[in-house]
Amino acid sequence: MAKPLSAEVIEAMLAAQDIPLAPGRAERLAPGVNALAVADPLRAGLAFEVDATTYLSALSRNK
Amino acid sequence: MSDPAVLTLADAAQALRRRELSSEDLVQACRRRIERWQPRINAFVSQEGRNSGHEGPLGGIPLAHKDMFYRAGRVSNCGSKIRRGWVATETSAALERLDAAGALDIGTLNMSEFAYGPTGHNEHWGDCRNPWNPDYITGGSSSGSGAAVAARLVFGALGSDTGGSVRLPAGACGVTGLKTTWGRVSRHGAMPLSHSLDTIGPLARSAADCALLLAAIAGHDRRDPISSHEAVEIGLERPIGSMKIALSTAWIESNADSEIAAAVLGAARALRSAGATLVEVEPPDFDLLSAHCLVVMQAEASAQHAQWMRERQQDYSSAVRVRLEAGFAIPAAQYLEVLRLRAAWLDQWKRLLGEADLYLCPAIAVPIPTREQTGPRGGAEMPKLLAGVTRLTRWVNYLGVPALALPCGFDSRRLPIAMQLVGRPFAEGTLLAAGHAYQLDTDWHQRLPPE
Repeated sequence: MAKPLSAEVIEAMLAAQDIPLAPGRAERLAPGVNALAVADPLRAGLAFEVDATTYLSALSRNK
Repeated sequence: MSDPAVLTLADAAQALRRRELSSEDLVQACRRRIERWQPRINAFVSQEGRNSGHEGPLGGIPLAHKDMFYRAGRVSNCGSKIRRGWVATETSAALERLDAAGALDIGTLNMSEFAYGPTGHNEHWGDCRNPWNPDYITGGSSSGSGAAVAARLVFGALGSDTGGSVRLPAGACGVTGLKTTWGRVSRHGAMPLSHSLDTIGPLARSAADCALLLAAIAGHDRRDPISSHEAVEIGLERPIGSMKIALSTAWIESNADSEIAAAVLGAARALRSAGATLVEVEPPDFDLLSAHCLVVMQAEASAQHAQWMRERQQDYSSAVRVRLEAGFAIPAAQYLEVLRLRAAWLDQWKRLLGEADLYLCPAIAVPIPTREQTGPRGGAEMPKLLAGVTRLTRWVNYLGVPALALPCGFDSRRLPIAMQLVGRPFAEGTLLAAGHAYQLDTDWHQRLPPE
């Protein structure tokens, strides 16, 4: 299970991208952000060669 | 004829061809309804007509579109304060194609700010309100498109669907809305939100009307790099008797609101009575796929808005600002891994369908909430309510497959209930044929909101 991001880490991530956060906002963001890091049963079988840019052709192959 | 504005698009087009009505008759009828309904539902942003229409499959039919489809020389506010008054320098591919089909464009329609909200709230342009009861949400982000079509202010409208933004307003407003396959309709000249998920599709009064609009806008466009070369095949005549429809009855019974479950399962029985074969299958992992969709959407939307988030953060509504902030906290590797997993999940989708042509489930599995419940003063329950509203739409965007939302009943508050038919890639024609067959046997799509 992935370790959840803390509010401090989230604040630092946004600061590194020059995105200011109001006080206390990182604490409010953390649950939602961490909820997206779900365990995916297909991840372990994902082939090394798969890249993210070929999805349109995958759609055509799977009509 | 009592009010030509309440005809379907297909019937209006036929009446024009037979010269029983003129385009001007239709425009005036729509304008009269807009005058009555606009103060109540706030569907229009601008009522300025911008083209003259001409002969063609949609010749002389009044349409209006979400305020994010650019037209050269016209303002596209994108539901925002930041782009208020921004004048486009080129026309979107979808509008070009509707123009080529002869359609009239009689105004621009309200939408969620930057298409980044599922309810229809908009603090910059005023909330769009549900024609069936203005206290309730329209669904978003194509809020004005859903409301305007439901109130019969226009014969059809374009929306965009990144996480449900065509199907949610179609479902909540009781109209038919088509989320197209990713790549089916060019996004050139349409406001971007999340390039891996963004799709454009029609909202109209019936599946047959959506088919007419899709035929006009679909097809390859070299200006959109993900625009597909797949042939556009829309045949409403495909017999429902040849179709196998997958569904997960137990999931619907245990997860959807009881009135919604009853209506959607009733629709399934109606499709079986019309000749379709029903096949029980395990449901897709809606929640996991929705989470993946959100990873992609939030990361891409935040990147799209990065400069404004640095320079004009105060000009976003708090709801949109929070969503955009969240996207900056998604690690790039997580975002890309979720995209890499997409093809594997598409393969799972193909396996789940098996021999079936499409999958049937609710469009919205929870009762439509009020604007107050889901607005700025919504309180602690709001995130849960919003998650319920979008639970069954986002997974479809992650897979990139097409889906049709269409009315299949009303709840005890007299608000619409909608089912969703989800298909294989580029199988819009199958969805529309099934929806058309259902609508030949039912009249939910013909009901009008109370004046």
